[in-house]
Amino acid sequence: MKKVYAKEELCLNCRLCEVHCKTAHSRSKDIIKAYKYEDPVPVSRISVYGDNLGSAAVSCRHCDHPKCVEACITGAMRKDPKTGIVSVNESKCIGCMTCLTVCPFGCIKIEKTAIKCDLCQEDGEPACVKNCPNGALVYLEMGGGKA
Amino acid sequence: MKYIVIGASAAGLACAEEIRKTDKDGSIKVFTNEEYLPYSRPSISYYLKGVVKESNIYLRKPSDYASRNIEIITGSCVNSIDREKKEIKVGRKTFDYDKLCIATGSYPFIPEMGNVRSKENALTFLDLAAVKKVKAKAGKNTRAVVIGAGLIGMKAAEGLSKICKSVEVVELAPRILPSILDEKASEFVKKYIEEKGNIIFHLGNTVVKTKSKGKRVSSVILKNGEELDCDLLILAVGVRPDVKLAEKAGLEVNRGIVTNPETMQTSDKDIYAAGDCALSTDIDKSKKIIALWVNAVKQGKTAGSQMAGGNEKGGITYAINAIDFYGLRIATAGLINAEGSQYKDMVKSDKGSYKRLIFEGNHLVGFVLINSSENAGIYTSMIENKDDISRMGKMIDETASLFLFDKKTREKRLKGEVG
Repeated sequence: MKKVYAKEELCLNCRLCEVHCKTAHSRSKDIIKAYKYEDPVPVSRISVYGDNLGSAAVSCRHCDHPKCVEACITGAMRKDPKTGIVSVNESKCIGCMTCLTVCPFGCIKIEKTAIKCDLCQEDGEPACVKNCPNGALVYLEMGGGKA
Repeated sequence: MKYIVIGASAAGLACAEEIRKTDKDGSIKVFTNEEYLPYSRPSISYYLKGVVKESNIYLRKPSDYASRNIEIITGSCVNSIDREKKEIKVGRKTFDYDKLCIATGSYPFIPEMGNVRSKENALTFLDLAAVKKVKAKAGKNTRAVVIGAGLIGMKAAEGLSKICKSVEVVELAPRILPSILDEKASEFVKKYIEEKGNIIFHLGNTVVKTKSKGKRVSSVILKNGEELDCDLLILAVGVRPDVKLAEKAGLEVNRGIVTNPETMQTSDKDIYAAGDCALSTDIDKSKKIIALWVNAVKQGKTAGSQMAGGNEKGGITYAINAIDFYGLRIATAGLINAEGSQYKDMVKSDKGSYKRLIFEGNHLVGFVLINSSENAGIYTSMIENKDDISRMGKMIDETASLFLFDKKTREKRLKGEVG
């Protein structure tokens, strides 16, 4: 399946991916409104770690054998057998954090429920990839390029 | 191939689903003595307080079982296992198996306390049937007493505190949640709960006697002489592994069912065991029951794969738990209460959070994170992979991220590979 891959050597630590992820997952889809007026505040599903000497944007790996799905105590976290996308059924999630406690990549956040990358496609490709100014995020088939 | 799984909670369901991944044709029968399709045990306290509806408590849709040809037989109590004939008895019927998994879980231990078992307002809090009874009896004038401040007792207390007039918790140990928290963390959480939850604790104390009016417990008398009026008594003293079937069948049992941790095979090569009823080997090599969801699923998966001839092997087992109380978020794993000079720890705490990492030599072996659980899974992976942490710097001050690892490891992980 196609996934988002981060290229550390190209990441500028600018965090625009976070901004655009947040916007893409807001109700208004408007950068200003999303940041200033929405309640609850939309949450970015991608996070940049590191510093100006070396950084990378980390988001869900949509694992073949996802630990979060295996560990989920409510059956809210599922991997779609067709698309391979790992997603949270928010009506079933109780926000217990078990998924976050087993994710080896640190890709799950918790508000009222678990929040994670859904490989959003509204813009044709995930918003983080589309808006990365330096090509540090790519959307590829597994093994389709140097990550 | 004919597969039978006894028990349909975390371990049983994981086992059945894993069998199906490897063996597309064999028949899979899952027997449960409960009346419900597999549901989320940990969600029962959320159901009690009304956050989760009953329709959302089920782990899978009924059609998920049909489409994978997994037969869940509810309301069926397995009476015995005949290892020679390779069959089980359910009431008057018998079912034969090629491979069997025992995932019977645990049952609540009920202390004697003056015939409390027969009282209609003295209830346990382990399964959906029990919580339905609790829900029917708890109202805004109810004075509830919970015996036991473990995970079950505390979750019951939290749920009840949203409904009842008062909730008092009695615990023999001097602290709450001893299985998932160290002493300091216990104190931290207790204070928070007292403040937010309006729960009164009686720690280092125990119920020595109950007073009844007819079929109802009316008050409990504590070791220190104090008497607590009660309209509802929750018995959450602890659980015991349900090993009756295994014992009767002559399998090796030592508190829990003895298994090979790599395969979950019992002393009978065609019988496997997983979950709360099976013995686990912890990080420090001690044998114990780790009665927690994640462990049960892991063991169930291993058993299922092995039963069907797959190659999934059991890795190291360790306690891992995430839970919240009134918005206080707790994630813990590994050796939390490790004693011995080989263990070192780092602690960082302030008014609103507590973070403790426990090390053995160059390895992380446990953590307690309260309101500081961001990316806790990175730590979990360090425990599981026995990562060398000697070059990771002062981990306690940093939010866990892939940048704790060297570049090579990080690049691998960014691609989605662990280990």
